[in-house]
Amino acid sequence: MSVEARERPSDAVNAPRSKPRKRGRETNGTLSQQRRKLLIPFVGPALTFYVVLFIIPTGAAVWISLHNWAGSGPMTWTGLSNYTALFQDELFKKSLWNTLLLLVVVGVVMFVLSFAMTLVLRDMAGRKIARSIIFFPHLINALVYGVLAGFLFNPGGLVNTLLKPFGVTEPPQWLAQDNLFPLIMLTLTFMTTGYYTTILMAGVDRIPPYYYEDCAMAGANAWQRLRYVILPLTWDVFGVCAVLWTISSVKIFEIVWIFGGSSGSGIPPTQTWTAAVYTYATAFSGESLPAYGAATASAIISLALVTVLVVLIRRVMRRDVIEF
Amino acid sequence: MSLSLRAPSLRRRPSRPSLSGGGPLRAVGIVLLWLFVALNVAGLVWVVFQSFRDTRSILSSPFGLPDSWSFENFSTAWKVSDFATATFNSVSVAVISSVVTVALAAPAAYYLSRHESRLNRNLTLFFILGLGVPVQVILIPLFVMLNQVSLTNSLIGLNLVYIGISMPFTVFLLTGFFRSLPAELEEAAALDGASPIGTFLRVMLPVAKGGILTAFVLQLISHWNETLLALTLLQSTDKYTLPVALISFVQQQTYSGADWGGLFAGLCIVILPLLAVYLWLGRKLSEGLTLGMGK
Repeated sequence: MSVEARERPSDAVNAPRSKPRKRGRETNGTLSQQRRKLLIPFVGPALTFYVVLFIIPTGAAVWISLHNWAGSGPMTWTGLSNYTALFQDELFKKSLWNTLLLLVVVGVVMFVLSFAMTLVLRDMAGRKIARSIIFFPHLINALVYGVLAGFLFNPGGLVNTLLKPFGVTEPPQWLAQDNLFPLIMLTLTFMTTGYYTTILMAGVDRIPPYYYEDCAMAGANAWQRLRYVILPLTWDVFGVCAVLWTISSVKIFEIVWIFGGSSGSGIPPTQTWTAAVYTYATAFSGESLPAYGAATASAIISLALVTVLVVLIRRVMRRDVIEF
Repeated sequence: MSLSLRAPSLRRRPSRPSLSGGGPLRAVGIVLLWLFVALNVAGLVWVVFQSFRDTRSILSSPFGLPDSWSFENFSTAWKVSDFATATFNSVSVAVISSVVTVALAAPAAYYLSRHESRLNRNLTLFFILGLGVPVQVILIPLFVMLNQVSLTNSLIGLNLVYIGISMPFTVFLLTGFFRSLPAELEEAAALDGASPIGTFLRVMLPVAKGGILTAFVLQLISHWNETLLALTLLQSTDKYTLPVALISFVQQQTYSGADWGGLFAGLCIVILPLLAVYLWLGRKLSEGLTLGMGK
């Protein structure tokens, strides 16, 4: 292609389809040239913002992660040593582990719940209103849930007040540092289930009713209907949800940062750290010398995690698309 | 990566025949589901009610109703804790950055979706790949870059950042939307001698109003809620947006004792505008975030 273009510069644009109809080619040429001219004014501004404020920082992150840098002063090249140091850092391993727990445990529980709710919602009376209500929490800042959890679970809080009539006089220390993370997982499940239910609902709603009618005529029971109709026809939506959750779970930050009212110093106890919290705290906590190199390296590891998982999910979930 | 996108459609479905077996399991499921729905509503109502009560009565009877509808918590939060400035900052940043985002992304998405070529497909993919990058990756480079041009601790800097990070999602959503519009419209406009830019402005934009409004409001919501970047880039209280102000309010309480009344008022300031927007545009938003995403 490029060789050809160099030989016949005037014809380069239309080279592949220049032969059959001359007149047609001519008008096509001006039209597509006209269109090409519009590429810059239409796409240029968006592309500039995107490249300057997104792509260049991403590239810079890779660059910074290969250095030792306190934010000001000289950068010293250290190669991959930030990465090897991270994998020996107990705190980072804990943070990464917590992120994986959110991704997998919360992910699986939430998917099972969402799918179950979808099946119940599918032909329930009042489904529209129920669906609109369970979607709303997705729009609220996760901070709100973190703050509320502090109210619900603090020693004189709502949960303990509710438990008292049942004879629980010595309730567990909900907000003890070791219990925080399970509570965070619980809260996240509560927050996100509604959103994924609405996405799955959108998938299930696309199944035309005559499939169900066929099922009824063939005498299929509920399980068979699920196994042979609903699951195969919503498979691609499951795939999209899995990708979506992978991407959004790796950047969970706010709720951990504030959960249970947080500690006095403003940094949550290390037992609850996620990868995003690790990145932020390592660079901006103000407690120790900021380590920009290590912090960005940890973020790049999150990016690698997302990339690998998304590719894997797409591999595993790939099926022949069923047209209907 | 195959990308088949479909814009939110407003087609109404015929009511489906009831197919439920009506087993006991299903009955339990329905009860649990309504419980979950009720819990969500009750939680919201409860937060609003508590914001009208003082801290002592909230703690002594957490399910109590407010004695009077006094806005004392709100005015304290508004004036003393300076949620007023934070609200103003949040509103201005969210509105400005969302307007600019959509103004830039709509023409790009229109061009990329209407003109098939390898370059355009690759450009679309290039935009969409940004969806997979967690925000913590660009956090430090952005801070360093903006610091060099003195745009940290500045709402202008925050606006720019929000515009940049919103491009992937907005272009993704709007390319899907423009692709769903009939091609005949453009051809008719071209036959009538409209210039391509005229076609975009006078024919396609009015038709795409719904999709663009959805994209705008989704950005508005996400910029209203954005926390990590705001927390990193803003340092002085007069620049704080609402989420940052809320965090600093919570952290002050560890020293000054919990002011739950004020805190609930703060939560209401964060939640209620969202509720208003959702009541206004509910279906469109959920479809933008589900159908636009799910297909």
